[in-house]
Amino acid sequence: MFILGFHFPADMGNNVPDEKVVEKLDNSGVDFDSVNEIKMVSESHGVKEELSYTKKDTFMFKALVHYVKAVASTDYMIYTNRYQISELAKRLDSDDETMALCKKFDSMAQFKIVAA
Amino acid sequence: MAQLRQIAFYGKGGIGKSTTSQNTLASMAHYFDKNILIVGCDPKADSTRLILHEKAQNTILQLAAEMGTVEDLELEDACKPGAGIFSPDTSGGWINCTESGGPEPGVGCAGRGVITAINFLEEEGAYEEEGLDFVSYDVLGDVVCGGFAMPIREGKAQEIYIVMSGEMMAMYAANNISKGILKYANTGGVRLAGLICNARMTDREYDLAWALARELGTQMIHFVPRNNIVQHAELRRMTVVEYSPSSDQAQEYKELARKIIANDMKIIPTPLEMDDLEDLLMEFGLEEEVLEEEIGKSAEL
Repeated sequence: MFILGFHFPADMGNNVPDEKVVEKLDNSGVDFDSVNEIKMVSESHGVKEELSYTKKDTFMFKALVHYVKAVASTDYMIYTNRYQISELAKRLDSDDETMALCKKFDSMAQFKIVAA
Repeated sequence: MAQLRQIAFYGKGGIGKSTTSQNTLASMAHYFDKNILIVGCDPKADSTRLILHEKAQNTILQLAAEMGTVEDLELEDACKPGAGIFSPDTSGGWINCTESGGPEPGVGCAGRGVITAINFLEEEGAYEEEGLDFVSYDVLGDVVCGGFAMPIREGKAQEIYIVMSGEMMAMYAANNISKGILKYANTGGVRLAGLICNARMTDREYDLAWALARELGTQMIHFVPRNNIVQHAELRRMTVVEYSPSSDQAQEYKELARKIIANDMKIIPTPLEMDDLEDLLMEFGLEEEVLEEEIGKSAEL
């Protein structure tokens, strides 16, 4: 089973608890404090939108920093990872800004992402 | 030497099994140095064309017919090395390709070709080639025919990846294939290893694919977005990995390949009853609920 690119052993089944994912993030060795802003560009049907996300105290921020620093080899955001980040953030975060970003992540648009 | 893994890609006809499997296997060879034998189990013989840069490979059944019998056939006649970066002569992983073939449309049993091909390849030692990591079967359509179930029935394919999308018939097919796996799970040891959503980019497709995966007891291992570059590459009879290795879509296939290589989740599926599947489809808006008294009534009455 794979969530946010992490492998979870098969004996954990197909419903891995959220705290286990957070644990993996925390133990990933990524320096989350070194990033203050995540910049993104979404593109759908030729329409581009620039986005900035700075809520450092959220799961969303941590997951995005981890994606940029440890998963991505280009600025392209893999759809599966993006949908999974959104799915978890909807359960673990509650602020309006993060929920608005989740809504954008749930779309079919393509996302580019960089840390600033 | 690592143990040989035998995987298979199943799914509804036209869902993009051959495209998905070739692009994924290409990534496994190119990025992760895996050596692979592709056994195309489709009379269309299109399971290897992107790896070989050819229209269609001569099939085992075709060659056997030309030579008289399958016993007259040599492995090198029916099993070709991949072209370009997939050749054994280049660095990185290699891919060998073979196609079972089948009878003319409307004549005979297409499943027989699959049985003949696998027996031939085993007898000729194709699975014993040094360094071989994966055998991959690309199997036509649904498991309604026992012949096409052969790779799972005989315990040849051990882990099955079902290529599906968020469309109703693709979901039905995925559930039916799971029933086939369940039937042979105890005798042959076959397991469901995950769903691959070859997305049509319909609303809530990711959620729907995951909902089905959860019901089946498996994972949705990867969501492959639709991208025109796949078609552009196909026009040149190439995989995306070879056509444009720095493209976004190549990143998607690379990630899917990485996950398949590391995957240890192989389960006996729990297929849904038809009513439960319809409820699931209705929940995600793929079917509209109809009042009992309206069933069978013309819209013009």
